[in-house]
Amino acid sequence: MQELRELAKKLLAEGAVKVVVGYAEGRQGVRPIFAATPEDADKLIFDPRCVQNLATYLSPRRAHVAALGKLAVVVKGCDAMAAAGMIREAQRKRDDFVLIGVRCGGVLADPRASAAVTEATVAARCPGCEVREPKIVDHLLGPLPPAPPGASALDARIAELDAMTPEERFAFWTSELAKCVRCNACREICPMCFCVRCVCDKSQPQWIESSPHARGNLAWHMTRALHQAGRCVGCGECERACPVGIPLSLLNRKVARVVAERFDYVVSDDPEKPAPIGTYRLEDDQEFIR
Amino acid sequence: MTRQMFISESALKSLAEELVKAGTRLVGPARERNGDLVYREASDLGEIELGGDPPTRSLKEFFLPPTEVLLTYRQKQGDVEVTPAPHVFAPLVVIGARPCDAAAVAAVDKVMDWDYHDELWFGRRLATTIVSVACGGGDASCFCTAVGLAPDSAKGSDVLLVPVEGGFHAEILTEKGEALVKAHAARFTEGGKAEAAKAYRDAARGKVQANLSADPAKIRAFLEAGFDHPIWKGIALRCHGCGACAFVCPTCHCFDIVDEPDSIERGTRRRNWDTCQAAKFTLHGSGHNPRNEQNCRIRQRMMHKFAIYPARFGEILCTGCGRCIRVCPGGMDLLETLDKLGRLPAGAPAEAKRGAP
Amino acid sequence: MTQGNLYAPYLMRVDEVVEETVDTRTLKLSFKDPEVAAKFDFKAGQFGEYSVFGAGECTFCIASAPTRKGYIECSFKKVGRVTAAMRELNVGDTMGFRGPYGNSFPLDKMAGKSLVFIAGGIGLAPVRCVIQNALDLRDKFKDITIIYGARSVGDLVYKRELDEWAKRPDVKLWQTVDPGGETKEWKGQIGFVPNVVEKAHPMALNAFAVVCGPPIMIKFTLPVLAKLGFKDDAIYTTLENRMKCGIGKCGRCNIGPVYVCKDGPVFNAAEIKKLPPEF
Repeated sequence: MQELRELAKKLLAEGAVKVVVGYAEGRQGVRPIFAATPEDADKLIFDPRCVQNLATYLSPRRAHVAALGKLAVVVKGCDAMAAAGMIREAQRKRDDFVLIGVRCGGVLADPRASAAVTEATVAARCPGCEVREPKIVDHLLGPLPPAPPGASALDARIAELDAMTPEERFAFWTSELAKCVRCNACREICPMCFCVRCVCDKSQPQWIESSPHARGNLAWHMTRALHQAGRCVGCGECERACPVGIPLSLLNRKVARVVAERFDYVVSDDPEKPAPIGTYRLEDDQEFIR
Repeated sequence: MTRQMFISESALKSLAEELVKAGTRLVGPARERNGDLVYREASDLGEIELGGDPPTRSLKEFFLPPTEVLLTYRQKQGDVEVTPAPHVFAPLVVIGARPCDAAAVAAVDKVMDWDYHDELWFGRRLATTIVSVACGGGDASCFCTAVGLAPDSAKGSDVLLVPVEGGFHAEILTEKGEALVKAHAARFTEGGKAEAAKAYRDAARGKVQANLSADPAKIRAFLEAGFDHPIWKGIALRCHGCGACAFVCPTCHCFDIVDEPDSIERGTRRRNWDTCQAAKFTLHGSGHNPRNEQNCRIRQRMMHKFAIYPARFGEILCTGCGRCIRVCPGGMDLLETLDKLGRLPAGAPAEAKRGAP
Repeated sequence: MTQGNLYAPYLMRVDEVVEETVDTRTLKLSFKDPEVAAKFDFKAGQFGEYSVFGAGECTFCIASAPTRKGYIECSFKKVGRVTAAMRELNVGDTMGFRGPYGNSFPLDKMAGKSLVFIAGGIGLAPVRCVIQNALDLRDKFKDITIIYGARSVGDLVYKRELDEWAKRPDVKLWQTVDPGGETKEWKGQIGFVPNVVEKAHPMALNAFAVVCGPPIMIKFTLPVLAKLGFKDDAIYTTLENRMKCGIGKCGRCNIGPVYVCKDGPVFNAAEIKKLPPEF
C-alpha cells in the first residue's frame, strides 16, 4: 500500500502524470479515486475489494476524464488486458498513459463486501486467472498473493448450459434477457465498448431495435457478445453494472471459449498479438460459414 | 380523517387469496430465480416479502413499463389506419409497496397530468390499489427523511400498513383504500394499533435520519444559483454515464418514442425508458449536443430532481430510496453529493453569475 | 368506443411537395378528417410532432400561418431517419401530426409596432409563419423588414415567396449569402447576416425583432440588435431543443427551469439570457 502511495506521489510530483486513477475507501466500500494531489494519493489502497476495472477510464469515450491530462491507472491483470486491448485496436497509444500494475490474488464480487477471498467469496471470474502479474505495465507492485481459490463458478454454470438441449438453453437466455431494460450500462462501463457510434444507436438502417422487448434485447445482447468475441477481457464489469442482474459473464466467457477453440486465441495483455476479429488466416476453421 | 384498522397476518394472507381468486393481479416484492428481490406478480402472499430489503427495481414499471405500445398502424397504398393502445387496464393490487416507491408514483402523477393527461399512465394508476408496508429504516443508502418523506410516509399509498405484533396497524388513506377494505371487510378490525405502531415508526425514522440530515431548501437554493459552480467540473469523474441510476430510479420518467415496423404494412409506435445520462438524449439532428459531456448530464439530473421539478410542481423528484447509490458501478453516491451541496453557500462564486432564475 | 390517447396523431394528406434546396423540402399537408380540419387552429410559433409511420416522429414548427386556413406546412432538412422517410413521401401519401404544441409569438403585443424579421438558412421556417401572419393582417403593423441569409444562393428557402416579398412596396427585404456563396446572377447582399442587419439599420423604436437561424448567427446578431437599440424583451427567437413528446412529459427538452415544449419554443432574449447555456 505504502509502495503504491509513494509511487503515485512521485509520478505526480515529477509531473509524469496529472492524475492517478486508483482505488480508495468510499462511504460504502471501495470506489475509484482520481488522485491529483499528495493528500489524495495517500488515500490509495489495493485489496480484494478493488473490483472495478479502472482501465475503462482510459477509453477515448471518457472525454471528461481525458480532459484531466495524462493519467496513471492502477491495474490488475484483467484491467491491464483492457488497456492492451485499446492499444491493440489503435484507440490509445502505449505512452498516452502510465500503468501501475498490482499483483492480484483474486477479488471479491462486490466492492462493498468485506471478507477474505475464499472459494465462497471470490468473484466468479477469478479462479484460473492467468494474468495475475500483468506484463504490459510500467510499474509492478506488491508480492504475488496465492492464486484465487477453487474453480470458476462460471465454468461450472457454462458446463450446465452446454449440457442443455438448444431449446432449454434458448429458454434460459430468453428469460434472462427478458429482464433487460436497455439502459446500456453494460456497454457504457465496458472498457472494450469504445465505438464512438454503437451499432445499437444507429437508425439508418436500424439494425437493433431500441425497445426492451424480446426481439430488441436478443438482437442487442447477441450483437454485443459477438462484437466482444476475442476482445472481451472477462473483467465482469458489464454484469456488475447490470441493474437487473443478467448473467452477462456467462455469455462472454462462453464466446471466449469458442474463440479459443476455433481460433486458438486467448485475450492477453500483449497488445502486439492481433485479435481474431480483425485478422484473416487461411487455416482458420470455416465450417460454420457453410 | 384517515380510518385506522388492524389486519392480522393470516387475514392479510386470506385477503390476498380472495384477490387472486377474483382474478385481480397481485403484485409485491418477491424473489426471482437468481435471488433478486423485485416487484412482480405473485399467486400467493407467501411469495411476497413484506418489509425487509428494498426491491432492486422500483414500482414505476407497473405504470410506465420499460417499453409500451402507444399505437399500432397499418398502411396500404399511401393510406394509414392508426389504432391507439387501449388505456383501460385490469385491476391490480400491490401489497408490500415501499412507502418511497408509492410516494414516487404520486410525484410522477404531476408531470403525467401537466396540462395533458396521460391516459396510459393514469389508466394503470386508476386500476391499481397500493398497499404499502412501512419500512423499518432501510440501509446505508436510504435518505427519505432528507427529502421530506419518511419510512412510513403515506404519500401515494391507498393503504399504509405498519407492522405490529401479530399483524399490521392499517391506515386507510384513499377511496381506493376504502373500497379494498369494504370488499374484504371481514379481514379488518376497527381501531388499529396506533400506539404499538408508533415505536416501530419512530425507530425507523431515527435510523434513516442518521444517514443524512440535509435541508432540501438549501440544496435547491444552491442549485438554482450555482450552475457554473466549480463543483460540477469534477462531479462525474467516476461516472460511466451508464444510466443504471435513472433506470432503477422510481421517479425518473424520461422516455423515448420510437416506431418499429413489423413489415412494410404494419408496425407499432412505442415509448421506451430513456435517460438524461445518455449522450444521445439531447443530441440534435445537426450533430450539436447541448449537454455534450458527463459532468453536464449529472448536473442536469441533480437540478431536475432538486430544483427544476420542485420549482414547477412543489415537490422534490427524489424519494431517497437509495437505489441509484446501490446500483452505481462507479461508486457515485447521491447521499454524499447532497450532503456536500447542502453545506455549500447558495449562489455561484463571484466569477460565475449565470444560473437558473 | 375507440380510445384515443395523447400520442395518437391526426392523419394528414400530403397535398404538395416543394423542393426548396438540394436537401430541404416543404410539405403542404391537410387533415384527412374534415371534422378535425374544421376545428384545427393554432398560433404563429407553435410546433407539432410530424410522423412517418414506421420511421417515427420529428419536431418541426408549423411553417405556414394560422391565417391561411385548411392546410399546414412544414419544412425539413434530411438529417435523420424520420426526415429521410419524409423525403420519400409523395403527393397523396399519408403522414401523422400531433399538435399544435407550445407557446407562440406575441402578435397581440406586436400590433401597432414595426417588425424586423431576421433569419438564416432553414431558420426562415418559424419566422415565415409570423411573416405570413403579419402580412395577412398588414394594416395592424407598421414597417416590416425582412433580413434573410443563407450560405449560398442554392441554400435559400421559400424562393417563390422571397420574390413576392421583394415585389411588395410595404415590405423591406434584404437577402444575403455568405461570401463565396453568390452566383453571377445574384443581386442581393454578400455577407453574413449580422453585418447585413447592421447595414439595414432597422429602427428599434416601437419595433420587435424576430430572429431565427443557426446558433452562431443568433449569437452575433444579438449584439448588433442591442447596438441598434433593441431591448432584450423586444427580441424574439425559438429554441430548437430535441423533443419527443412535445407535451412536457418525456423530459428531453428541459433546460434549467424551462421545458422548451411547454414554456417555449418562443422566448425573448431576456428570457434566454437567464437560461443555462444548454441549447
